[in-house]
Amino acid sequence: MRSLILFAAVLATGQQAFGAIGCTLSNPAQDLKSLYPKMTTYKEELNEFPRLKDGAALFKALRERLGSDLDPIYETYETPYSVYTVFEGQTKIGIVHGVNVPGKGGVIQVFLSLDPVTAEIRNFFFQRLESPAARQLRTKEFRAQFEGLTLADLYKHDYYASTSPGAKADKIAAIKPPTLEASGRQDYDASLRGLRKNLILLDFFVYGRRFEPFFERAKQASGKAKAGKE
Amino acid sequence: MRLIALLLVSLALVGTLPSVTGQEVPRPAPGAPPDPFSDLTDTPIPPVTPTADPPLRSWRQKFFTENFGFRKEILSQFATSEHGQPSSRQSAGFEILKKFSTSTATFASINFQGRLVRRDGFQPVVNDMEGQSRPGWAFEYHNAYLDLYNIFNPMLSDEQRRASVGRFNLRAGRFYVPFGLNLQTDTHGTVLQLSNERNFGFERDWYSGFWGAINQHLNYDAYYLMGSGYDFKFKGQKGLVAARLSLSNKYNSEYGLEAGVSVLAGERLAHQSQKPMETKRAGLDGRYRRAIRTGSLTFTSELSGGSDVADTIFTQLYQSEYLTASRRWGVATQYRRFAQDHQQADASLIGEITWYLRNDVGNSNLHWLKLNVERRIARMHEQPSTIVTLQYYLYR
Repeated sequence: MRSLILFAAVLATGQQAFGAIGCTLSNPAQDLKSLYPKMTTYKEELNEFPRLKDGAALFKALRERLGSDLDPIYETYETPYSVYTVFEGQTKIGIVHGVNVPGKGGVIQVFLSLDPVTAEIRNFFFQRLESPAARQLRTKEFRAQFEGLTLADLYKHDYYASTSPGAKADKIAAIKPPTLEASGRQDYDASLRGLRKNLILLDFFVYGRRFEPFFERAKQASGKAKAGKE
Repeated sequence: MRLIALLLVSLALVGTLPSVTGQEVPRPAPGAPPDPFSDLTDTPIPPVTPTADPPLRSWRQKFFTENFGFRKEILSQFATSEHGQPSSRQSAGFEILKKFSTSTATFASINFQGRLVRRDGFQPVVNDMEGQSRPGWAFEYHNAYLDLYNIFNPMLSDEQRRASVGRFNLRAGRFYVPFGLNLQTDTHGTVLQLSNERNFGFERDWYSGFWGAINQHLNYDAYYLMGSGYDFKFKGQKGLVAARLSLSNKYNSEYGLEAGVSVLAGERLAHQSQKPMETKRAGLDGRYRRAIRTGSLTFTSELSGGSDVADTIFTQLYQSEYLTASRRWGVATQYRRFAQDHQQADASLIGEITWYLRNDVGNSNLHWLKLNVERRIARMHEQPSTIVTLQYYLYR
């Protein structure tokens, strides 16, 4: 009887636990080693909004920074996120993180590896890509265009897109999409959305929200530009 | 006059000089608004220096907050056949996953799944073959294992660690039998199962051994198994050794393909008699997933052959699944056959439809209603029959 009560008590505990698996690397050691051949160890840390300080507000902030609604299946409040930190000896040499986004044919898992100091993208790749455009989106030429970009470049793009489309300073607008059939366009957009979501989450989890000033400035400037047009 | 000339020269130069920050500031196009980010740089914000030592936390606080996962599960299942005999299986369960790390490495994890189950009546639904021996109330464990990652790291130099990342991991405890696709498939809550339960009398066993990557193309698993299935016990059996070679994750990522070969040999406890039984098996398995316009298709197959004592065994399993792109609806069909010398074969054709209320990609948030119909085409010891199962499942 005591064990039944204990069991019931365990089940009655709050909703503050993380899930078994979120968007994780299927074989972390192997995958990380291919990204960082010099690595010696890696550390996996789980993040989830319900367990973060002000998690509900952060989750709301994610939606605002993403600029679109969160998917009720792929992007729930409870979704756990695994961040991999890669070491060479005692030196941190990389951060790797993946997210799920809904695509036309199913799930798209967008992974990024970032510089641990500058937060610049080192590698952009797909673990799972259920898409008719999978072959085109996986091409190295397309993915390589994102190397060196940061979340700041995406926030700047928001501003330039609404005020001066085609501005030279807009690095995102300069990215050439792969040659896609009309049916693949949706997954191209979903992939970019996944990349953006990934960078925003890493800014929350790892980089101490260092790119917030860019978001705020883009928001203000875009608002002013819109008001000016009206 | 000289002052005015100097001012004009200065104004003319302003547009060509770099900014005081040393960065080029792009000049806005005529008519374009000024760059609103010119005073912001991407340079990192220096980390905040703690003014006081962080509060010390007990091992209990650390255990339950750092990399600790807890999930709740409710499973409600009703089944019946054309002969009546309805059965009910109701359970409430949980899963714990905990990872342990140093400042630079995740070195271990534990996983435990438990369920409190109430059974009334019994139908041999494929996900509850063990249920016959547990009527009424029962507490069940499923996964109960420890993984130690890169176990030789404490003895290696950085150079040696670099060369052996992911190669030598140790697993000890109870988990899926390392034969076929079960190791890389979560069938904890599903009605459809893979081959192992029928093939060996259990789909999980107690074992210990190594797993990891051989190279960028192949993974390995090599274990010693107790051969007792649910209970942790030796009753005269010598146990089993099992090994599996499988394609690495990159084939799944890039081509949607999983495949492997498995061998298993030794002694296990027979399901019915609980006496030692010599067992040999070799198997081949594969799974291929392909995106189509409206969702995804998955094809699975497991084939194995070998012997139980002197009897030759041959098993087959073929499965096709379709999941809509929204992940709201899924249909699946499976054909399975277990043939043994001197006896007839067990064979079933199964159809299933699922309505997903939640269907998280990583299986961390699941909520569904399934209708499963199994036509037992041929049976060794019974008449063919049809079992209809309705299942409600929640995991979050």
